[in-house]
Amino acid sequence: MRYEYVTGNIAVAEASMTAGLKFYAGYPITPSSDIFEYLARELPKRGGHVVQFEDEIASINAAIGASWTCAKSMTATSGPGFSLMLEALSLAVITETPLVVVYVMRTGPSTGVPTRSGQYDVLQATYGFHGGLVIPVLAPSTPQEAYDLTIRAFNVSEELRTPAILLSDAVVAHTYGKVAIRERGEVEVVDRAKPSVPPESYRPYDPLDGIAPPMACFGEGYNVLVESLTHDEKGYYAPRTDAQRRLMWRLYRKVVESAERLFDYSAAYLDDCEFALVSYGPTALSARVAAKLLREEGYRACLVKLRTLFPLYEKGVRELLRGVGKVFVVENNVGLYFRELRGVLRDKEVISVPLIDLDVPPPQEIAGVVKEWL
Amino acid sequence: MAVGHPLDPYLRTDRLPTMWCPGCGLGVVLGTLLRAIDRRIREGRLRRENVAFVGGIGCSARMTLYPLFDSAHVIHGRAIPFALGVKIVKPKMKMIVVGGDGDIAAIGGNHILHALRRNADLLVVMANNMIYGMTGGQLAPTTPRGLYTTTTPYGNPEREINMVRLAAALGANYVARGSTTHPQLLEQLFYKALAKRGLAFVEVLSTCPEIFGRHIDFRSPVDLYLELRKRIVVKAKPSVEESDYNWEKGFVIGEFVDKDEPGYIEVYLDYLSKALEKQPS
Amino acid sequence: MRLEILIAGRGGQGILLLGHVLGKAIAEHTDLHVLGSETYAAETRGGDSRVDLVVADREEEADFIKVVRADIALFMHQLQLDAYKDLVGDGAVVFLDKSNVTEIPRRSWRIYAEPYTDIAEREIGTSRVANMVALGHLVGVTSIVPPEAVESVIRETVAREWVDLNIRAFRYFLRLSPHRQTEE
Ligand SMILES: Cc1ncc(C[n+]2csc(CCOP(=O)(O)OP(=O)(O)O)c2C)c(N)n1
Ligand code: SF4
Repeated sequence: MRYEYVTGNIAVAEASMTAGLKFYAGYPITPSSDIFEYLARELPKRGGHVVQFEDEIASINAAIGASWTCAKSMTATSGPGFSLMLEALSLAVITETPLVVVYVMRTGPSTGVPTRSGQYDVLQATYGFHGGLVIPVLAPSTPQEAYDLTIRAFNVSEELRTPAILLSDAVVAHTYGKVAIRERGEVEVVDRAKPSVPPESYRPYDPLDGIAPPMACFGEGYNVLVESLTHDEKGYYAPRTDAQRRLMWRLYRKVVESAERLFDYSAAYLDDCEFALVSYGPTALSARVAAKLLREEGYRACLVKLRTLFPLYEKGVRELLRGVGKVFVVENNVGLYFRELRGVLRDKEVISVPLIDLDVPPPQEIAGVVKEWL
Repeated sequence: MAVGHPLDPYLRTDRLPTMWCPGCGLGVVLGTLLRAIDRRIREGRLRRENVAFVGGIGCSARMTLYPLFDSAHVIHGRAIPFALGVKIVKPKMKMIVVGGDGDIAAIGGNHILHALRRNADLLVVMANNMIYGMTGGQLAPTTPRGLYTTTTPYGNPEREINMVRLAAALGANYVARGSTTHPQLLEQLFYKALAKRGLAFVEVLSTCPEIFGRHIDFRSPVDLYLELRKRIVVKAKPSVEESDYNWEKGFVIGEFVDKDEPGYIEVYLDYLSKALEKQPS
Repeated sequence: MRLEILIAGRGGQGILLLGHVLGKAIAEHTDLHVLGSETYAAETRGGDSRVDLVVADREEEADFIKVVRADIALFMHQLQLDAYKDLVGDGAVVFLDKSNVTEIPRRSWRIYAEPYTDIAEREIGTSRVANMVALGHLVGVTSIVPPEAVESVIRETVAREWVDLNIRAFRYFLRLSPHRQTEE
């Protein structure tokens, strides 16, 4: 383990290598490109591959292909590129392909302000692809969290055989921080389960007793079937309601029922809290300072920073905020994740504090808005 | 006991019959391809576990459903990047991309363009039935000018794409055109293509009696087959200039390009070795 | 312990390098935690350059990326002093490049004002290392990080042919009595 002063983007790149990244495919886009460039320099030295493709569509499809050789794969992009990747993300979901997509949000819609930040795409990250399922979305607010959550994204993706999103943004991407960088062996690294049966009796989409099916890969003699159509356990097309139900619920449950294990948050001043500021990403840093400012003025405010945005552990959130009177959801968009929390905290007053800022909303402004409601 | 078909060992026989319409040309494409693979495996030039099929979406792409090899049936137009992702990590794999003219020349156009530019080590088989079969008869970039499709009901006004010319222009090592009406030649083209490094592109003119045949009033598979056969001109070593794609004047089939330049993977591995030299010892 | 540090000047004054070296020295050579953000007006050379550092002994206290109330500030130019003076709290330690700052606002700051740019030009031979002269002063007075740590970061960060000049500039105030407080 060593400490380095690096940006969130470099922390992501370092973490991906520790997690076992073997294949990176990408197409340049601000503010994600320095992940790509750093890996282009470093990953080949460690036996991995970094290739620039003709667009984001090719990039994510190549990453999916590479993952079917059992190489851990990743791509990174921002809103315009993520939008192009959505169709393939859906492919990764139905084929249960482990894959990490680093989504470095920038100001939108469309080309927006390419170098600046925002949290406009928080719902797109999990709801954007077609098929109505949920994939894990982890949101760091500092370079250290970017590091830790990248490793977690790989682990979750391997364990559940699902694409996972690391939801960063231009602020985290370019903020420097002291980051504890660990080597393999100093941190838990999960690898996908492999089949223990011979090819003749292998069924590629049968989870057996586990959460996700063991994964045979290309070139191992298993006659693997990667199938984008609704399939049965063998991977054969099954255009039947019973097969569709079985597949949908299994894909849904394996992620949603992991919510408790994946639940990750931190809190400040929760003990005597009357008004909770709930936030995520770098906006949560601002909200923490806002809570401090409010406390200096005698308000019993606290801060809850969520690091796992999806799947949302509903019971955990409710318990965490049990004693709290009002809940303010602070985010740098028009009030999106607020909708998720309002649905979960139905017995509470949940107030949206949507503050659009090209960087992070200033703490004073957050505190000001909150005070209007007190 | 029923006598098996010689290709049975290469098929997921429990999935047969195929989903293709009676008389569809795609069975011939798959059959000749598997025969060529079988020859290469018997020769010891290919190992079975290293052969993989990747297809996008369409009747043609469903050729991936039946061979008993590693296979991926992915999304419309994106088989090439998927296959290249596999190939980069496992260069020993023989990646065979199969798809229709819509899959490869329309929605997948950007990917075939760059795969050709890279001379990527893939065998790309484009089954060209001149129509969108799976979705019910819409315009393809290969639909001959003037013909009816459901989305150009007054006759296709557009110029057709000549994929042979494109593949040759962008530097593929091997470029051929075959036809399901000439299965022996087709098998020979596949057999040749399977041994190439770099990109091998084989366009296969194929019959879609169900949709294309209906559009042009050749409803019976045999009639459409004969109609296509009439328009085929076989040449041993035609030049790229002779590759014109023209329903009226006919289609020349044969081997247009056969080169042996380093493929992408060799170039890439050479690049990688530079990074490895930089490794601190 | 939690400290906010603001470093600002005009583009071309080496503000980003100064802030980066300081942040890196703190992160990699002390037990302190730090978050840093580096901003500059890309469009205009000579526009604002600014580094915000939030330093704390506990990780969760290094909790923001922008200075809200600076405890330590360094202004290399009048324009940025005027623009950001309200971000500097009462009692803060403030360093000013007297070569570029003429009007000092009346605040209850502990002010250290020296002509960093002139010193760099006169003593080291180039005004380009004024940033390191100032950094030496800041490190000497605040003791936030050991000078040797800064020097090793300079060696890692600065192009080889510039290392000696930068280190000489950095040492200028460390050799003098660093606690020479100049204005109240
Ligand atoms: C992104 C996307 N757009 C459209 C479709 C619908 N679609 C499925 S197959 C196909 C075209 C099929 O034509 P072709 O590739 O020539 O194959 P064929 O069925 O003729 O063999 C289309 C448009 C799709 N599956 N995905
Ligand atoms: S629609 Fe045409 S291409 Fe598709 S299976 Fe039927 S005949 Fe073949």
